[in-house]
Amino acid sequence: MPLIRKGDAEPSAPIGADGDVIAALTNGTNDQRWAAARAAGDIPGGVQALGRALATEADARVREAFFTSLVRARSLEAVDAVLPHLRSDDANLRIGALDALRGMAATAAPRLPFLLSDPDADVRLLACEILRDLPSADAVPLLCRLLEREDQVNVCASAVEVLAEIGGPDALPALAACAARFLSEPFLVFSIKAASARIGAQSPGHG
Amino acid sequence: MTEEEFQRLCDFLYRRTGMLFGEAKRYYVERRITERMAATGATAFASYFARLRGDVRGEIEQFVNAFTVNETYFYREDHQLQCLTSDLLRERLKVKPRGEAVRIWSVPCSTGEEPYSIAIWLLENWPQVDSHDIEIVGSDIDTGVLEAARAGIYGKRALMRLSPELIERYFEQIDDEHWQVLEDLRGSVRFSSVNLVEAAETRPNGRFDVIFCRNVLIYFDDASRRVAAENLYENLAPGGFICLGHSESMSRISPLFEVRRYADAIVYQRPLEAARG
Repeated sequence: MPLIRKGDAEPSAPIGADGDVIAALTNGTNDQRWAAARAAGDIPGGVQALGRALATEADARVREAFFTSLVRARSLEAVDAVLPHLRSDDANLRIGALDALRGMAATAAPRLPFLLSDPDADVRLLACEILRDLPSADAVPLLCRLLEREDQVNVCASAVEVLAEIGGPDALPALAACAARFLSEPFLVFSIKAASARIGAQSPGHG
Repeated sequence: MTEEEFQRLCDFLYRRTGMLFGEAKRYYVERRITERMAATGATAFASYFARLRGDVRGEIEQFVNAFTVNETYFYREDHQLQCLTSDLLRERLKVKPRGEAVRIWSVPCSTGEEPYSIAIWLLENWPQVDSHDIEIVGSDIDTGVLEAARAGIYGKRALMRLSPELIERYFEQIDDEHWQVLEDLRGSVRFSSVNLVEAAETRPNGRFDVIFCRNVLIYFDDASRRVAAENLYENLAPGGFICLGHSESMSRISPLFEVRRYADAIVYQRPLEAARG
């Protein structure tokens, strides 16, 4: 029979001292930086080092490992290390940051009201997406308040799309008011109509 | 359930688990929703949906369980086995050093049907099987199922997709209802305990040419899925392949892999160029 069976698996070698791991985040080869990124979340000072190194990391695969380690750390410190990259000019980095924040949305919750008020419309738009992963009771009031004051149509559209999934009847007045403010934007009016229909069509019962 | 509620549910399920349901599956979805609402005491879709979104008491796992065939059996999703022998191994052999063993990992392997199926399929369907050393490893987090896998004893239902000739060739009947995998075959598959989100447990298994990882990532939350995807990436040789369950999509889980479409299956590949990184 050509099937062979080798011995039991061997434990992997330790990855190195903490200082070596942090140094390798910026100085190693792609594979070394990948390994260091995966290890750094578990060592003292690792989260801050990941945040600093992330800003200069150019390899998409290694960057993914940076984000995953920060998501695993699931601390406000990790959230703060990721947040600056929501403003990146690099779309891949921006989306990586968004995915990471969605992976720790509950931890990021204290920062979300500030993100929704950020002067940068792109940041406000992405913040709506992070809210999608929070409980409705927390996310819907924030989205409704955004709709009441937001002047950028794309940000409103993002909030509307999230409300279509997580909103309840309590979101309908804010949606209607937003539609009334943007009558000259048929795309948004249509989106709000569709979202309101979806929300309003909930079957009877106490939800 | 209204049309709008159905759409909401489908959007959520796709985003959260990668499971995609269209209008054609609506009746099927509604039946399961009704069952889960009854089981959880929810009186309206809205309250059940809130419970599902919040994953209250592990509701996502319960819900996914209601949609997936938890029962495993020999030659399940054999289109992937067909793809293995038609395409994947051919590609691997082009880049593997001559004489190096072909390594295949079944994780999670549950009670062993999948790794033994891979072994039988290769012996029966891969013309080059005698020209290569082939190492098959089955791993699971549950040590109870691993004991059953090592024993290799199965009932009629597990064998339902195997022909009588295959059963005769690879099993020994031990009573009216049970058959045991032949000792030689049992001895050729190694089983190990592995938690997919613990790199310290996955790394020692080394690099594989093909990994079968079906119907487990859909249960993980975002963070665990990211970690598991990275662990699986490390366990693949550059250019190696990973086969997921039919309702799963790795491209939603991680940008580390490339999608490869073959005649029999869609699989995911660790890029070859990463070997030079």
